Amino acid sequence: MRGPWKSRLRPADVLGTGTVGLRTRRARAAFTALGIAIGIASMVAVMGISSSSKADLLAELDLLGTNLLQIRPGQSVFGDEATMSADAPAMIRRIGPVESASSISAIATTVQRNDALSSRNKNGIEILATEVNLTQTLAATVASGRAHDSASVRLPTVVLGAIAAERLGIENVDGGQRVIIGDRWFDVIGILKPLPLNPDIDRSAMIGLEAARQSFGVTGLPSTIYIRTDPTSVDAVRDVLARTASPGAPNEVDVSRPSDALAARAEVDKNLQTLLLGLGGVALLVGGVGIANVMVISVLERRGEIGVRRALGATRAHIRNQFVVESTLLSLLGGVLGVSIGFAVTTVYARRQGWLVDLPLQGLILGVLAALVIGAVAGLYPAVRAARLDPAEAVRPAA
Amino acid sequence: MTATHTSPQTNRTAPDKSAVLELRDVVREYPGIPPVRAIDGVSLRISTGELVAIVGPSGSGKSTLLNLIGTLDRPTSGTVLVDDVDTGKLNDSALAGLRAARLGFVFQQFHLLAGMSAIDNVATGLLYRGEPRRLRRARSIEALERVGLGHRLDHTPNKLSGGERQRVAIARALVGDPAIVLADEPTGNLDSTTSDEIVELLHGLHDEGSTIVVITHDRDLANKLPRRVTVRDGRLVDDSTEVVR
Ligand SMILES: Nc1ncnc2c1ncn2[C@@H]1O[C@H](COP(=O)(O)OP(=O)(O)OP(=O)(O)O)[C@@H](O)[C@H]1O
Ligand SMILES: [Mg+2]
Repeated sequence: MRGPWKSRLRPADVLGTGTVGLRTRRARAAFTALGIAIGIASMVAVMGISSSSKADLLAELDLLGTNLLQIRPGQSVFGDEATMSADAPAMIRRIGPVESASSISAIATTVQRNDALSSRNKNGIEILATEVNLTQTLAATVASGRAHDSASVRLPTVVLGAIAAERLGIENVDGGQRVIIGDRWFDVIGILKPLPLNPDIDRSAMIGLEAARQSFGVTGLPSTIYIRTDPTSVDAVRDVLARTASPGAPNEVDVSRPSDALAARAEVDKNLQTLLLGLGGVALLVGGVGIANVMVISVLERRGEIGVRRALGATRAHIRNQFVVESTLLSLLGGVLGVSIGFAVTTVYARRQGWLVDLPLQGLILGVLAALVIGAVAGLYPAVRAARLDPAEAVRPAA
Repeated sequence: MTATHTSPQTNRTAPDKSAVLELRDVVREYPGIPPVRAIDGVSLRISTGELVAIVGPSGSGKSTLLNLIGTLDRPTSGTVLVDDVDTGKLNDSALAGLRAARLGFVFQQFHLLAGMSAIDNVATGLLYRGEPRRLRRARSIEALERVGLGHRLDHTPNKLSGGERQRVAIARALVGDPAIVLADEPTGNLDSTTSDEIVELLHGLHDEGSTIVVITHDRDLANKLPRRVTVRDGRLVDDSTEVVR
């Protein structure tokens, strides 16, 4: 047989040579991989936790609907409190896509559990005169008892928001609970479930408009009007709402969509998320430098092995590939470990918060890919150095 | 072969016998002030089936010569031919291919791969020929049995004695049936009994037809081999085939 001769390394053996260093130096491999694992784990956890929290908020929004609008008097051009006219609700109801509209007006009085003087402290509960269709407009449901109907709005009866009931120490309406509003006794006929879009309602005691007129002699002007619209025409309604409610001074009323505040919460942690991702990135970078470092040392230590492999027929490319594969596998090991840890952290955290676990698949793939790239890049320089070793130099007995 | 060389050169190989290895006026200078001329105009022919000792005092250039013969190093001037191919005309990866296909090395320091079994160490000798793993292992077991280590197949180097390690290194050099086995001080680290066993082993392999070049500073060992090439200060000073047993 006369030349040319050619070295050949099977693909499976390329992988095999790349694992030699890992198999024979396990503890070192484990610690090196851990550096990458920490970086990947923190990035995956940050992505997973923020996406789970967002998914949870969005699911909640879906349930609550985004077709509820509200309108409140703002400030007049002279800087004092503006008002809305009493016929604003009726005018709003005339807008085509409006399914229902319901106004509330605040009454300046207080509510207590009994008539003892000692309990006449402020409990932060607002007394609202409401229309009969308020619960329908807000899609509110009762936790106990019933909502107002056309009869109860004329009687001294009250429906409590969830927080108001708690503050008054009323858990349910069984056995005829009564409270004092102003200086009159009212029967508690119902307690509402919490309304995530309308926390003001949670903190209020609601009586009928007619009952308010009879008991306190006031009706009050609307302090807020809630509007439920056809879901496809929310923006159209929103555009005409101010002009309809306050034709004389449309810029003196504030129109808003309560669900927007909730949606904003999903985005609110952007800065924190970026910061955490950045920290994860730094950890990853440190992990990559760690790998490069360990690989440089490994190449120095394995000079003899490199020389022998060259003598046995390895080409420079074979040596280079061996070390690149080794560092890539090392980093990949860290990546897989990191993704698993990140996934576990996300799951535990989300479960504790009562969220849905939502970890984007791209995040996992990205984590593993990042590890792959970092490993290959970190290993390149040491690998090229190993490949450039002069074989005669490499097999010379170490001094 | 009419190269002008100053060393007394006696080539006793019949001209019709094919030279598996030939050195023509090889010079190897290490850079420095002044440069070190480790090999200074060496010409040498080794034929198929020979068992040759390269002997000389420490620092005479034996290891340098072995690296040149083994194509691990390139001469500053002169020509190294393996199988009549001028290795100076081959690039680095072609030389690697040549080593994989035609050469076997036994190093003074064994250079076994730590943490790998005897079989896996020997199988590395076939790795860069692209042979499938199963075949590599089967041939490695054969080679280990040939050097009398059939009972130590799965031992890692740290569990082997010095002589056993040397045998594993020899098995690794032999496993691919190379055209030439190059051994640098194969008995350097061994006691005389173990050393004799290794020499016996080399004789046995020679009888089976292997071409073997043994580097040694040990005259006694050299005298047990059929041909002795003596190196001093980078030159060939003697080439004899008398049996001195
Ligand atoms: N890389 C190098 N750079 C400079 N000089 C070198 C180098 N390698 C070897 N030499 C010199 O070349 C000469 C021959 O060295 P070599 O290693 O070939 O000797 P040797 O015959 O193998 O000796 P020993 O029996 O001690 O192993 C020595 O003088 C040595 O100092
Ligand atoms: Mg030497």
